[in-house]
Parts: sequence; structure tokens; C-alpha cells
Amino acid sequence: MDTFIQLVVNGLGKGAVYALLALGFVVVFKATEVVNFAVGSLVLFGGYLVYVLRDVIGWYGAAAVGIVGAALVGLFIERLCAAARGADQNSLALLTIGVDVIITEEIVRRVGAAIPFIGDPFDARPILIGNVAIFRTQAIALVVGLVLITAFFLAFRYTDWGVAMRAQAENREAAALMGIRSSRVTATAWLIAGALAGVAVLFMATQDFSGAGLGRGTHAIALIAFPAAIIGGLDSTAGAVVGGIIVGLTESLSAQYISFDFSKSAVFLVMLVVLVVRPSGLFGTKELSRV
Amino acid sequence: MIRGRSKAIAAGALALVLAACGSTADTGAGATGAGGIKTDKGVTDTTISLGIMGDTSGVFKNLGAAINAGNQLWVDDVNAKGGICNRQLKLEVVDHGYKADTAKTLYPQLEPKVLGIVQLLGSPVLAALKQNLIDDNMTAAPASWSSQILNNPNIMMIGTTYDLEIVNGMAYLQQQGLIKDGDTVGHIYIDGEYGGNGLLGSKYYAGVHKLNVKEAKITSTDNDLTNIVTGFKGDGVKAIVLTTTPGQSASALAANQALGLNVPVLGNNPTFDPALLKTPAAGALGNLYVAASSAPFSSETPKAAEIAAAYKAKYPGSPLNGGVDVGYVEGLVWQSVLTKACENKDLSRPGVQTALKSLTSVKTDDLVATLDYSSPGSPPTRGVYIAKVDAKAEGGLTEVAPLFTAPDAAGYKAPFQK
Amino acid sequence: MSDTLTKAPPQAPTRPWAKIIGTAVLLVVLVLLPVLVGSHVAYLKLAQYVLIGAVGGIGLTLIVGQAGQLSLAHPFFLLLGAVSYAVLAGDPAETPDLVSLHWPPMLAVIGAVIICGLVGLAFAPVAGRVRGIYLGVASLSLVFLGLWLGQSLGILTGGTGSGRPPPTFSLFGFPFSNTTPAPTIAGVAIQKQQRLWYLFLAFAVLAYVLARGAVRGRIGRAWRAVRDNEAAAAAMGVSVARIKAGAFTISSAYAGLAGVMTALWLDLVKPDENEFTGNYSLTVSIAFLAIVIIGGLGSVPGAVVGAMVVYGLQQFFLLGANEFGWFAGAQFGGLSAVILAAFIYGLAVVLVVLFEPGGAAAIGRRLAASLSRKEQR
Repeated sequence: MDTFIQLVVNGLGKGAVYALLALGFVVVFKATEVVNFAVGSLVLFGGYLVYVLRDVIGWYGAAAVGIVGAALVGLFIERLCAAARGADQNSLALLTIGVDVIITEEIVRRVGAAIPFIGDPFDARPILIGNVAIFRTQAIALVVGLVLITAFFLAFRYTDWGVAMRAQAENREAAALMGIRSSRVTATAWLIAGALAGVAVLFMATQDFSGAGLGRGTHAIALIAFPAAIIGGLDSTAGAVVGGIIVGLTESLSAQYISFDFSKSAVFLVMLVVLVVRPSGLFGTKELSRV
Repeated sequence: MIRGRSKAIAAGALALVLAACGSTADTGAGATGAGGIKTDKGVTDTTISLGIMGDTSGVFKNLGAAINAGNQLWVDDVNAKGGICNRQLKLEVVDHGYKADTAKTLYPQLEPKVLGIVQLLGSPVLAALKQNLIDDNMTAAPASWSSQILNNPNIMMIGTTYDLEIVNGMAYLQQQGLIKDGDTVGHIYIDGEYGGNGLLGSKYYAGVHKLNVKEAKITSTDNDLTNIVTGFKGDGVKAIVLTTTPGQSASALAANQALGLNVPVLGNNPTFDPALLKTPAAGALGNLYVAASSAPFSSETPKAAEIAAAYKAKYPGSPLNGGVDVGYVEGLVWQSVLTKACENKDLSRPGVQTALKSLTSVKTDDLVATLDYSSPGSPPTRGVYIAKVDAKAEGGLTEVAPLFTAPDAAGYKAPFQK
Repeated sequence: MSDTLTKAPPQAPTRPWAKIIGTAVLLVVLVLLPVLVGSHVAYLKLAQYVLIGAVGGIGLTLIVGQAGQLSLAHPFFLLLGAVSYAVLAGDPAETPDLVSLHWPPMLAVIGAVIICGLVGLAFAPVAGRVRGIYLGVASLSLVFLGLWLGQSLGILTGGTGSGRPPPTFSLFGFPFSNTTPAPTIAGVAIQKQQRLWYLFLAFAVLAYVLARGAVRGRIGRAWRAVRDNEAAAAAMGVSVARIKAGAFTISSAYAGLAGVMTALWLDLVKPDENEFTGNYSLTVSIAFLAIVIIGGLGSVPGAVVGAMVVYGLQQFFLLGANEFGWFAGAQFGGLSAVILAAFIYGLAVVLVVLFEPGGAAAIGRRLAASLSRKEQR
């Protein structure tokens, strides 16, 4: 039973970080219907800034710069998408793939052999409660995640921006007619996605979370945003959070109760099943196609 | 008409090709060089070229860099004393990053330039190139110690194999009272020749001492082993055995401590890298015991100290780990082989083979135990050193048990042993 | 009425002899490549690698460009093709611990292609449930399925450490490996790499011709109908489900053939250790997508051009690194061959989407049109 509890704790802790990534993913999709394949490079860019700046302006300063930097890269990608006039959603997704390749290769090259761990203030200092260990990185991620997600939902419900975003997601043309500046909504969405990625990487490139520093592996972990978002429903922000948690739990429980090999692929196989059985995910809205 | 033209062109090309066809005459075997000595690829009148297929960019890059340096230090020493067979030694270096497919691509480019391979790092690489080595009659000294490869006549194993490292290591743990008959132990191992061979050792020892082994198979690039160690804790393991990369060892050790398990951890020689002492996991490494056939970097064996000093002088800032001794030993074994081949007046690849099989006690100034190559299929030696992690020692390891061979290890029959 | 809305293509007297001569010269060069290359066999291996990319790329462009079904699953079928070939043609004497059925190699290749086609067919119903980018994401999970099965079915795949050796290809007793004596053409020995070149060339030409035929024929029209408007296609009597199934079958068969070629090229069949580096990884998924985008979605000759850019450049730089010492600083965080190649094709993808969505095919068409316009004057 202890093992089960520990695995749940392990899974929830990672789930909080996955939820942040998935949320960014969904925000972009809601605003633009573009699937962001560049989530990995947003993560890497933010992490890279922390790596090079932490000795210069301290970890907290570097983390702040990393978050802002990742947000700006998100904005840059949004500008590229806007420049691709008349390109449909598929083409824009492919565009994000191209950008992802370039940014990822450059950062992996710069980080090179170092593969640095960047969670200095909280990494590798676990808290033991009875027979259950709580990894500090994951615990802080959980708290930070809760704060950010709550703030996001409040903004989504009660601010002008939130209303504009929901209106655009519902019906882009009508929203434009009502005076909502589509480009501003889109830009904000990508900024948020970048910022969330910048926050997530602080917890991802640590001993506690992934056992590896910033590198190609971190980029691969960021892809978990896909199944998390799909399971929750690509256009549901609440779904993203739930999806992230489900993904974390699936990973840790399947590692023990099925096999370690399987746990690495389990999440994507679950995503496939969800896509086939309920394409709009747990909380997403069903797509209707009119002839 | 147009079609007819293209047909004519195609026919013309075909005729050209057919007219140009022929067959190769059988080319003779190796030529004869200066001093009436038979030579081969990689041997000229003034040089002997040996190849390195190492890892300086992959998961064992720190170890690999040190081994390369060890090879070079040996070459420098030999050349300073006049070379071998009146020829100077030369190294051709390639880096495969511990990837079997990269190695497969690089090998055909290296092969024509060298007589033999002084370092072939990586059990998966070795296994993937096994047939190539046999086809080209290329002798190689591997920087990998799987007994699974001992049925390849082209290998000169330079120390104790992984299975024996584990058997000796577990015997040591039991002797220290850290495990006893009937306990459960967990073994995390990398899929393939390296991990699989380590597992042979733990399963053999478990059979003899009625231990229960919980296996966990991973790949060389898995990074987070927390969930595996969580499962081990639930199984009530009294020790964890690792046949993994250094990064993975750190993850297992960190989890071992974080979860409050705190059992002794036994690792094969490649499982530790002093660079781990600079990572967040540094505080958790105290539980690790490393079983290796070569002495740790900080060893006070005279030859080891001499090499350490030369290494620090020539490669300041390079990673300090036992790899430099491994590289030097590879060189020393090759030296014995080439010297013998020179005496036989046969520096061809078959000549190298003949020389190798005639060596029954190759001495390496106590860097490793005396090696016996006269029984192909058997590990040439069975002793190990045990070391523990020590942040204050150079190379991060301090010897806690000198070279020994446990009785269980003496009785172990390796897969291809006759 | 305005007649400048759409300019009709200039009705130039067609001068096909330029095209015929061009094709003939190309064929001669391809056939004589081993002679032209001589002892620099590394260039031959580069050319073989481009052909692998071309065969896989043609398969992907058919399904993504012609049939409009986004698929990221190509690496899964490459792995399946390579492992199937090894299992079907394997010699139990050489690999006693692994499943080996010792079929004749050519039969094993055909078997591998058929197996991949059937598995692709099995995945096709997913395309019925899931559309557009969702389908792309769904196909991504096949790569992970391949990762898991590759790691756990060690007795078929040989395991992720060192895999298993691919059985030597031979046709009617003629082995595609080094022999003494060996036939020569113009004094150049036709050994393993040269023989593999001709084998790959035969596969690639067959793949090209079949694809061209499909695109120009009824099946191509049906694909494009489904791509452009499924509902309308259904209304016109096209069986959408069957068309999608056909597209998946064919594209995965192509990928399977590319997988067999990969096994022969690499001289190794080995599943990957993780999902991001290796011969069957997401990186390869993206490389193939890049081939198809750069070449122009749906264009078969475009896929060949795309393969030259994506696969060719990568090998070309690697060759430079090994033979001429380019990128010597790579170990210390400098630019390496693989990274430079990735930059170039990543940039190419971005530029194509931004400025010329039709890719190399569109550029080629415009060049051809402007050339024939010049001739008219």
C-alpha cells in the first residue's frame, strides 16, 4: 500500500508540471486552432536563459528572465504564423515544427556536453513524511501550478482579455465583428504559452523530476503536453489540468504495475485510445462539420 | 520517334556498361615490408597505426575521454623509447557516442587505415561490430567487459568481465554483513550486452546463496529511475545492483536516499563518474560500492600514480577518472602482442592473432591482475578492486578492498568457457 | 468580359526532347554512378541514403499531399519493415536466440512490405474517426508503440543494445556482399555497396513509377477528392473509408520498403532506446514531413528533391566531417554536421510555408513555365 501511495505522490507531483505545459498548449489552440509543435523549444529556450544567467544575476533573476524570454519566443512564433497568410491550420502546425527544429538544435548545441540541472533552490532535498517521500521540486511545482492555474482561470472568467479569448474561441468572425482584436488575443495566448513553458522547465530539468539536466531529453518530456491536452480536450483549459494529472499518474502507476518499458509509451497509447473513442477528450466540445 | 531516341540512348548506355564489364583478379594477401617482416593495412615501414572507436560525446563521454588520453599517453611512452619493431605508433580516433548505428557507419572508414583497434568502447558497439571484426580479422581491445563477447577470437579482453565484477562485489557485501542468504536484491540493468552480462552475475550469485533478484530492464538513455526504486522499496530489497550509466546511477542513488530506503548499492566499473559529485545527487552517492578490475584513479599503486601525474600534466582540466588506467592497460596489452608479433616477423592481422594466443601471462605493472589469453572463451582474469565514493579523493573513489577473487567467482563458469 | 482573370498556360509547341534528353542523361548517370564514384564509396552510400529518403518520402507525400491525411507514423513502419525483413529472412544458425524464418531474401522483402501494408490498413479506421491535425497527433502514438514493442519484443528485434544483423540480400544465388572474385564495370569492382546501389535504384525507380501512375490515375483523383472535401467526395460516390484505407496501406508499404533499405544500408536492425534519437524516432518523423513539405505536398518528384535536401545534406556534411575534417570544433559545442543539416531543413520548412507552400514542385513548375515562355519569344 505504501508503494501505491508513493507512486501516486510521484505521479501527482509530475502531473502539476505537465498540467502547466498542457494549459499553455490549450490556450494557443483555443485562440488559434493551431497545434503548437514548438512547445519543446519554448521549454528549452527558457531553461537555457536560466542556465547562462544564474551565475550572473542569481537564480531568481535568471528564472524571471527565462520566463519572459520563453514568452517572447512564443510571441515570435505567433508573428511568423501571422506572416504566413492564407496558410491553413495544418500548414501552421508544420511551420511550428520547422521553428522547433531550428531552436531545439541551436540550444542543444549550446548546452552541449553540460546538460545542466537548473532547479538549484529546491532540487534533491526531499521531505520524508512517515514512509512517503515528497520531492521538494514536485511539491513546489504543485503549489506554483495551483497559483498560476487559479490566476489563469480567474483572469479567464473575469477580465476583458478572458472574455475576448472565449469569444474568439467560440466564433472568430463574430468576435471580430464585435470589435475584438484577433491579433491581440492570439499574441497574448502565445505569450502565455511561452511563459508557462518557462515556468515548467524550472521544475523539469532537475534531479527530482527527470534525473537529467537541460537537453534533448527535456524537449522530449515537453511533448507530454500533447497527450495531456488531448485527454483533457484540446479546447478545454480545465481539461488540460485534469489531463496533466492523469498523465502523471499513468506514468508512475504503469511503471510499477505493468512495466517500465510500457510506462514510457503508455501515455501516448492512452492518448490514442481517447482520440479514437472520444476525439474531443474528456471535457472538450464536440466538433461538428457542416456540409 | 522520340521514344525511339530515348530507347537508343538507353541501349547505348547498356552496351557501354556490358562492354566495360569484367572481373577482379584475386588480390594477394599482405605485402612484405622492411626487415623482411610481413605487413598489412595500417603498417608501413615507419609507422604502425592503431584505431580508437570511443565515446567522447555520449553517455560515457567522461570515461571515454580519459581512456582516449590513456591510449595516447601509452603511445607517447612507447614512441619515446623507440617505438615497436622500429616503427612509431600512430592513433586514428573516431567517436561513436555509444551508438551502435553510428559505429557501424564509422567502422568501414576506419578499417582500411589501421592494423588493429586499441580501444573499442561500448558493449553494444562491440556486439554490433562482432561480425565485421571477424570478417576483417581485426583484433580489438575493448573498453567493455562483457563475457558474452569472449567467443570472438578477435577480442583481447583487458580485465575482469561484468558478471564476475558483480559476483565478487556481492561476495564482498555479504562478507561485510550487508546482505545475507535469502535476501531480496534489486538489479537495474541496461538492455543489451552490458546490462545482460551484469545480470548473469547477480543471478548466478543469487542461485548459490538463495537470494531473490528483482530485475528492472532499462535503456541507456532512460534518466529517471525513481519509480523503479519505489517498487524495489516495496519489494523489501536489502541491496541494489546497478549495471547502468553514471547518470542513471545518480538517479537510483538519489531515489534510494530520498525514499528513505538507504540500502547499499553495488555497481560495475562504468557506473561511476566523478562528475556526479558536481550534480544535485552528490549527497546521495555515499551508498555506492564500485567493483572494478582496474584500480581507482587515486590508487597508490606506483604505475597508476605515475600515469595519473602524466595525465594531469598533459591534459589539465580533463575529467579525472579510472579511464586513463584502462586506456594505458589496453596499450600495454597491445604492446605485448605487437612485440611478440615482431619477434615472429609477422605484423599482419593474422600474425597479431597468433601472437595474442601465445601469451599466457601479460603483466601490466599491477594496473590489473595478470592476464592469460591462452584459453579463448574464458575471462583472462577474475579479480576486482572495491572502491567507495569519496568526494575528497582524486577521481572521486577510494579503494576499500584491494585486488581479490572471491571463491564464488573462481567457481563461476562464463558463457563460453570450455 | 475580362480575360485576364486566369491566364491560360501558354500553348507552346511542346518540346519534349529537352525532357527526354534530361531523363536519359539522368538515367545514364545513375546507372554509371559506381563507376563515376570509383573508390570513394562514401559518396555511393550517401546516394543510397537519399534513395531511402526518396522511397519513404514518396509514400508520405501520397498520403499527406494527395489524400490529405496527416501522418507522423512513418518511423513505426520503417521499424516494422526492417524487423520483418530480419525475422523473415534471418538465418537461425547466425542468430540462434532470435526468431528467424530463413526465407529467400527477395521473398522476405515482399513479405515485409505486405506486412507493413496490412498494419497500415489496420490503422486506417482511426482516420475515419479522427481528422486533420488530430490524426497527426494520433499517428504520433504509433511511434511510441514502436518504441515499446521494439524494446519488449527482444526475440524479434534483438534488443535495443545491439539489435540483430540484417540477413545478406541475395537474388537467385547472387549475394549482395563482398565476394572474390567480383564482377567489374570499367575496372571498378562491383562489391557490396555497388550492388546495394543497384538494388536501391531498382526499388526507387519502381516506387517512383508506381506512385506517378497512381497520382495520374483514378486512385489519385479519388484521393484528391477526399482531401479537398470529404462530404462532396462521398456525395459523388467515392467510398471515403476505402480510399483512406488504401492510402494508409500504400504509404505504410512504402515506408516498410524504406525500412528494409535502412536495414541493408545500416547493416544493422536495432530498435531505438528512446523516442527522440535513433533511426525510428520522432526526429525521423519530422525529417520525413520536412521532405514532403520542401518537395511540395503531393508531388512525387518533389519528394525526391526533398529527400536530396533533408537526407542528402545530412549525409553530405557527415561525409565532409569524416573525410575532410569539417566541423572539427563540433565536439566542443561547435556546429556539427547533423546540427547544420537540421538548421537548413528546419529553415527550409519555415520558408516554404511562409512563401511558397507548393514547395519545390511549385518552384519547378514555375521555372519550367518561364523557360518555355522564353523559348516562345
